[in-house]
Amino acid sequence: MSNLFGPILKWMQLGVLSLFLAVVSQATPASAWWFWTPGDTVDNVGYKPEQPIPFSHKLHSGERKIPCEYCHSSARRSFSAGIPSSNTCMGCHKIVRTDKPAIKQITEAYDKNQPIEWVKVHDLPDFAKFPHKRHVQSKEQGGAGIQCQECHGKVEEMEVLEQGAPLQMGWCIGCHKERNAPLDCLGCHY
Amino acid sequence: MSQDNTNHEKHSVTRRTPVTSIPGYELTDRGPEVFAPVDGPLEAPVQDVEKGPLYMAAEEVVTSLEEAQPTASPGDEALSKTSVSRRDFLKLFSAAAVASSAACVRRPLEKAVPYVNQPVDQAVGIPAYYASTCGECSSGCGITVKTSSGLPIKIEGNPEHALSQGSTCATGQAALQALFHPDRRTAPGFQAATGFSTYAWNDMYEVLAQRLSGKKVAIFTNGSTGSRNSFYGDVLKKMGGSENDLYTYESNSLYESISEAHQMVFGVECLPRPDMRLAKVIVGLGTDFLDVGTHPVFFAKNFAGFHSLRGTELGKFIQFESMMTQTGAKADERHVIPPSGEIVAALLLMKALVDKNVSGRARDQASRILATNLEVVNGGYELLGISKDVFDHVAEELLKGPAMVLAGNTAFDENATMLQVAAALINEMVGAYGKTLFLERGWMRSPVRTGDVTRFMSNASKYDAVFFIDTNPVFSLPPSFGFEGLLKSIPMIISMQSSPNEMDNYAHVIMPITHALESWGDEQPVAGFWSARQPVVRAVKDARQAEDIFLWVLAAQKKSLPYADYRAYLLDKWKPLMTLVDVKGVDFDTFIKAFLRRGFAGRVETRPAPSVRDVASSFKLSSVATTKGLKLLAPLDPRLGDGRGADKPILQEIGDGMTTIAWDSWVAMNPNTAAKMGFKRNDLLLVETATGSVKVALYPLPGLHADAVVVNRGNGHSKESGLIQGGVGVDPLVMLGKAVDPVTKAPVTAGQEVKISKTGQIYRLAAMQKSHDIGKRIGIVKKYSVEDLKELKRNRSLDDVPDLYPKLKEDEEAQYRWGMSVDLTKCSGCGACMAACAIENNVPQVGRDQILLGREMHWIRLDRYFAGDVDNPQVTFQPMMCQQCNHAPCEAVCPVIATSHDPEGINSMTYNRCIGTRYCANACPYKVRRFNWWTHKWGVLGDRPQDRMPRALNPEVTVRTRGVMEKCNFCAQRIRQAKYVAKEQGRLLNDGDLLTACAQVCPSDAIVFGNLKNRGSRVSIERADARSYLALGGDPDKNEFGIKTLPNVSYMAVIAHRDPLGTGAEGHGDGHAPSHEAGHEATAPADSSAAPAGAQQEAPAPAPAHQ
Repeated sequence: MSNLFGPILKWMQLGVLSLFLAVVSQATPASAWWFWTPGDTVDNVGYKPEQPIPFSHKLHSGERKIPCEYCHSSARRSFSAGIPSSNTCMGCHKIVRTDKPAIKQITEAYDKNQPIEWVKVHDLPDFAKFPHKRHVQSKEQGGAGIQCQECHGKVEEMEVLEQGAPLQMGWCIGCHKERNAPLDCLGCHY
Repeated sequence: MSQDNTNHEKHSVTRRTPVTSIPGYELTDRGPEVFAPVDGPLEAPVQDVEKGPLYMAAEEVVTSLEEAQPTASPGDEALSKTSVSRRDFLKLFSAAAVASSAACVRRPLEKAVPYVNQPVDQAVGIPAYYASTCGECSSGCGITVKTSSGLPIKIEGNPEHALSQGSTCATGQAALQALFHPDRRTAPGFQAATGFSTYAWNDMYEVLAQRLSGKKVAIFTNGSTGSRNSFYGDVLKKMGGSENDLYTYESNSLYESISEAHQMVFGVECLPRPDMRLAKVIVGLGTDFLDVGTHPVFFAKNFAGFHSLRGTELGKFIQFESMMTQTGAKADERHVIPPSGEIVAALLLMKALVDKNVSGRARDQASRILATNLEVVNGGYELLGISKDVFDHVAEELLKGPAMVLAGNTAFDENATMLQVAAALINEMVGAYGKTLFLERGWMRSPVRTGDVTRFMSNASKYDAVFFIDTNPVFSLPPSFGFEGLLKSIPMIISMQSSPNEMDNYAHVIMPITHALESWGDEQPVAGFWSARQPVVRAVKDARQAEDIFLWVLAAQKKSLPYADYRAYLLDKWKPLMTLVDVKGVDFDTFIKAFLRRGFAGRVETRPAPSVRDVASSFKLSSVATTKGLKLLAPLDPRLGDGRGADKPILQEIGDGMTTIAWDSWVAMNPNTAAKMGFKRNDLLLVETATGSVKVALYPLPGLHADAVVVNRGNGHSKESGLIQGGVGVDPLVMLGKAVDPVTKAPVTAGQEVKISKTGQIYRLAAMQKSHDIGKRIGIVKKYSVEDLKELKRNRSLDDVPDLYPKLKEDEEAQYRWGMSVDLTKCSGCGACMAACAIENNVPQVGRDQILLGREMHWIRLDRYFAGDVDNPQVTFQPMMCQQCNHAPCEAVCPVIATSHDPEGINSMTYNRCIGTRYCANACPYKVRRFNWWTHKWGVLGDRPQDRMPRALNPEVTVRTRGVMEKCNFCAQRIRQAKYVAKEQGRLLNDGDLLTACAQVCPSDAIVFGNLKNRGSRVSIERADARSYLALGGDPDKNEFGIKTLPNVSYMAVIAHRDPLGTGAEGHGDGHAPSHEAGHEATAPADSSAAPAGAQQEAPAPAPAHQ
């Protein structure tokens, strides 16, 4: 009997296995993508999380024309561009628009000595090191002289900040190749 | 049917045997272990290897010591001794499967939390450095602490500070682990039989003030050379006592014996400041200044200046010792003497000097001393087994040139102070004072007052309350002292510790105090030289500075001192500094800012040179042991000290320098003695004295005297005492009877007679260096004698290794080629590099059982090789890190190109690309690649479990997870940072702009790092030196290129006065015939005819030097 059903059983086993493999092979990348990209596009561009304070880059950067590095002041000198501290906000908003609810919210937190917990939008994995200063500094300073907008998108037009570029390795490398920048692994991964 | 059956059977036969635990390799419950070794010990002993001149363990010479296969069942006490909780704590594998198991869960949002008020001089990602003073021991090294976003991430020596000169020891590096230790208490409180009740700090001061009012109070604390002692004196006076109610205690009683001896001989209570660079000969009478000593970093710097090649000259270090210390390992001439024989050797050396034509008061004193101790002197030669000629020869050497004698180690016997007196007299006779040892200018201050322990023990009943501050006498005094019983009679014990320890168990009140990195303070290690301590971080846990607690308790008692806090007190004490250093035209605040910024200030004090007093009449020897037989020596562990270091995983993990054993205690015995007694390596032995016994495994250590039985102190903390230290090793102090040095009253930790017997069990010691696996391999360690050196030439560059492939264009064009040179003459095996590397690069600590499986994670390790007579071997330490091969075997085998060659010569490792095949580790001939078998945990922070304590990690370096290979990358993050700075300034990096963590920390300056394309850099010069060689790189001059990997790391051969790989040293103890002949390594220099013509000197530098 087993001789008779042997081949059939084998085929059935194979069938189950291939079905399983098919599911897994589809599901694994899918779930990985689902996990790693909180934005709803394939490459996370346009990821637009809700922030604790409805800060408008369009207003500050676009209409009022405040330079990026006025608030993100360590971009020129550090790895991190730096999220402005509350006292940077309060520098103006002690006087300006103190009646708006968002400003009241930030004033209250500032008075209580509580930091604002912003949600990271442009979030590189920890194993990739991106020195802002090398990219932002002018060519005379030995930097690349790249405008913020080239990676972060047209921030000055964004009411709510969203991810402006895929920030994936292929995208990094593309630019590095174009500009003849270093391509060795150790440049970013250590 | 039948076919199916056979198929089935076949299948089951070929299936891997299920994972079972092998005795000694038990796996704890941490999930399925895929790669568990199932076929016996990881490194099966290789039997048929042809022996070379080097050996790594005694059993390669004394074969009967070979470890027996374990017969004990896994349930045995000895085998299951390790603490499960610690293991779990260290290595619980992460919940890495979150992603796969919960497909509907999204990556947790990462928050960016800025400052509320950003300090003007701080920005995220830009480190800030603070100068401070290390508080891990009382030697007072200046440090620079690198902080990032307000958190300290790395400690480095302050390069301008006279005591540290830019380095720290391993213990200093580990201070960060103490700061962020998960064991640290979070709140003060009262401890009663019913339990521990916590209090708010403000209530605490009030309650204490009430309870202490009108009571007799004492303070018992550790040593310090700063203002702290006078502050406690002031506090005690306010509380109705006097400064005599302050007791200072250090278990390292070298401070006491040396300063007491100088009090007796010269009438000055201090330690002489050595300048070894001025000496040509140093004689050590059992000294261990490189292991523990009094000021380890200062002495190591000094010794490196003395015992390294100066032109063609090399200082000569002669050592008499019974233990095998790392200091002794550096000796050019090492004489093995019986335990506690140092005093006899000192007297015999004294006699040899008296017999020569030496004049002066010291000689008169010495001859009187010799006359009163005639018996010891006459029987001395026989007792030591060393002939008179040897002492005559040593005396001659001493008289020849600037010389000094250093005496005493941390296994103290009854004659410890008398030994220092004898050494002081010898130093005076050979004219050392004023030439190499300084008492009249910049002498060193003792951090403790002599004899305070015994004084406290006799006075203890007087006190109503005693404060114990950062001290642990319950653990660090032998139990036979009865300190424990004494504590029970004190009505109120207040324990104030920065890290909790055994004292807390006896305390009625427990108050967590700040770590040195969170505290204000100062030290005055050298008279007139003030070293400042300032907090580099706000208290990590809710602790207070000990001094502040006293001020606030006094304030609550309405008896306050006129200071708001201890900082104000210090500012007051620092006022005279301004006149001392003669600063004019600035106000005090500016001066203090400059002082704190620099870390030190002062002008070393001077006084007239003291003259020798009548010391002969007070020179009394306690009985000198004349009987043979095993004697116990219990020195302080070079890393763990008296037990203070035991709670820092990195100190446990770097292991002992001589034995390479990590996370344990061991009993070290002379290999021949052990073999005669029928012991084998890793035999669990019962070591007994009249007072007590311990069960501890045997490590046969070459170089020990036949009678010496050494068990290091430091481990043996009770299981409950902490997550890290609990249950590790044994404490030898339980075997010590109550005996003290009659002068200093310090407990005696050497010379106890000891009986040793087998228990029949085996306990595997986690020795990181395996044995039997080098055979006759050449080019690992090279040694030359000073004489060889004169003829040593190299005609062919080290880089001139034949290669089939053309040089890559990018490599040629790169501006840098990073290289490292390690001078093995200087390396003393202290392990600071291992600790610094682990802290800088977030290298995890894995614990004992992973090390037993060969899975330690050190990026840099210290190999130790013996050569010659097993009773008196020559020892070489070799730091081994990734050699950054230009022809790297690992790069070729990686299937995913996770490891590749950087144009700057670094063999880069890309963690995120690695899939964990471990092919590279198999291909690596230097065995420096490390695989993450687990995601190693450090602790838990806040409400969510973290992989490791994030605040104890360096944010500049990626934290690796399970399944990833890692290795040394020449501190790539430092290279990046330095290059960015140089680029901003529009220049290339200069030599010295950049140091790797290991090169930076090395107290012996053995490691040099730099750009090989810059011909003027130190590393290029060292690489071009005739004694440089490449590990496993053969001898290019003979057209032998070894394995042709062409590393960017080169080693500089050991230069010794001793016959380099000779069969025995002059005048060893009761020696046995060695079985080694000198081999390849020793072969002399360069047969120049073998070198191709035209390959003269010139290194084929790929690009022009840029300087």
